[in-house]
Amino acid sequence: MSVIEVTGLTKKFGSLVAVDHLDFEVWRGEVFGLLGPNGAGKTTTIRMLACLISPSEGSARVNGQDIVEEPLKVRETVGILTENPCLYERLTAYENLDFFAEAYGVTDPLEKRERIRELFDFFGLWERRNEKVASFSRGMKQKLAIARALVHRPPILFLDEPTAGLDPESSKEIRDLIERLSRKEKCTILLCTHRLEDAEKLANRVMIINKGRNIATGSPEQLSERITGQPVVEVKLVKLNRKVLNAVKNLSQALKVESFKDKILITVENPKSATPEIVKGIVYAGGEILTVKTLRPSLEEAYLKLVKGESS
Amino acid sequence: MRLKKVMLVFRKDWLEISRNWQVILPIVILPFIFSVLLPILVSMVPGSTGTSPENLEEITRNLPSQVKNKLVGMTNQQIMFYITTLYLFAPFFIIIPIMAPSAIASDSFAGEKERRTIEALLATPISDTEMFLGKTLVSFIPTMTVTIASFITYSAIVNLYSTTMFKWKPLLPNLTWLTMIFLLSPTVALASIGLTVMVSAKVKGVREAQQISAVLLIPIIILVIIQASGAVFIGPSMITALTGIFAAIDFLVIYLGVKMFRREEILSKLA
Ligand SMILES: Nc1ncnc2c1ncn2[C@@H]1O[C@H](COP(=O)(O)OP(=O)(O)OP(=O)(O)O)[C@@H](O)[C@H]1O
Ligand SMILES: [Mg+2]
Repeated sequence: MSVIEVTGLTKKFGSLVAVDHLDFEVWRGEVFGLLGPNGAGKTTTIRMLACLISPSEGSARVNGQDIVEEPLKVRETVGILTENPCLYERLTAYENLDFFAEAYGVTDPLEKRERIRELFDFFGLWERRNEKVASFSRGMKQKLAIARALVHRPPILFLDEPTAGLDPESSKEIRDLIERLSRKEKCTILLCTHRLEDAEKLANRVMIINKGRNIATGSPEQLSERITGQPVVEVKLVKLNRKVLNAVKNLSQALKVESFKDKILITVENPKSATPEIVKGIVYAGGEILTVKTLRPSLEEAYLKLVKGESS
Repeated sequence: MRLKKVMLVFRKDWLEISRNWQVILPIVILPFIFSVLLPILVSMVPGSTGTSPENLEEITRNLPSQVKNKLVGMTNQQIMFYITTLYLFAPFFIIIPIMAPSAIASDSFAGEKERRTIEALLATPISDTEMFLGKTLVSFIPTMTVTIASFITYSAIVNLYSTTMFKWKPLLPNLTWLTMIFLLSPTVALASIGLTVMVSAKVKGVREAQQISAVLLIPIIILVIIQASGAVFIGPSMITALTGIFAAIDFLVIYLGVKMFRREEILSKLA
């Protein structure tokens, strides 16, 4: 079931078309990645879906509510991590969450306190709750900003570049947190990023956009396959001989077989079912296996090809 | 409109402002000058405010008769003190509610834009009206607080001089001043704040907001001073009438402010 339905969504800033007739759907519970280079229109798309700016054309429904007709209701049901952390630096971490909790309608004092405590615990910030946000590091601010987005238990979460400006370690920490979060809070996440790593590790489906237009949509695997073809299983042996090679060539799942020195490269449809069959076949033919690897064209290659192809 | 949400915006902003000296200082300085330094200046140099006895006669001649009656039997120095403290300085106390909120009101939206916090605020389900009114209120309450505080201070100083130097009964508060401080100043403050918050929502930075609202407010200040200087001589009825006019202006400014406040435009124009 789709919780976000976007049809012909367009935003123009003067003569610049920042978002150009986007159509997509996000299903309940999935992490949907919006991937694109700087200026692709990711932030603009999220801002329109969160009712922060109005679309020039087209429309969208978020959790069943139209973004143009019912902006207040949409704002109530979504949590948003904005591009800038947008935290009040003169207030403490606790005061920040307290304000946003009430702004989002969490007014029962007990419920509010418990939710804030839970979020501080989840993000490991409880000890720092009474410090002014101005004294926080970039990573801590980012965590607090994500906590703020979650304060009212939104069924839909928009994350705009959650790892931007963070060092690799903090980025990984944030990624892990988002992964745990999507399981724990069971919310639908629309994640926008220009980092492939984020999209590859977190997203169930990815839409690549450039200059406001949709270039490709699919799971990270589908997208990479679409560009560089099918996955390849690489088997390294102690010694490769004709008998083993023939045995592999005769396997039903082997679409194409190549060999280099003591390595065999087998193109397959589905590595999950093909790999055991290949291993069995080789062992049966008397081959001694050192390593087995599935080689996939990375999303990165796919992405670069798609974005470059679009620009030229 | 939900009053709770208005108060929420008010509380959050007040917490921020109370920790920001750049915004607090301007709201305190002007009232301090008017309420403490002015009366002390007048009392310390009696009769030497540059007004010679001939000028004094000129001034008193044009006064309404009920004021003139009160001056009977006073020395020149007493007349000077009586007229400056009770009548001539009164308009300054109308400048306080116009000028004092300028820093806070300019900061209301433009400050959040500058500090890049506005986007998260706009993303909340607080309605446009609630947000606008909350931001207006956070300028209004401190402004009225300092206006009333300055009035109390000013009255105390004036009374101290009049009771000790001239052995008069306390001069302030009188009905004219009470209507001016408690009726006219709130309506004047609201008009000024509404206008400044409106400007603050439209421009990019605090400085710009301050400059534009200053330009808009100067003619109003001049007009108000002229009106108020006349009105204090005529008395409470005239001040109440002026209050009525300003209440109508407030209604218009707040109505337009709320109507013209479009949150979807704020981020579109940020870049
Ligand atoms: N308020 C605005 N006024 C004018 N142009 C804008 C505005 N906001 C965005 N743009 C333009 O729209 C285009 C898309 O911007 P957007 O911020 O959506 O890109 P993005 O994909 O989020 O990029 P980044 O990875 O840099 O965050 C850019 O060319 C940008 O300059
Ligand atoms: Mg962006």
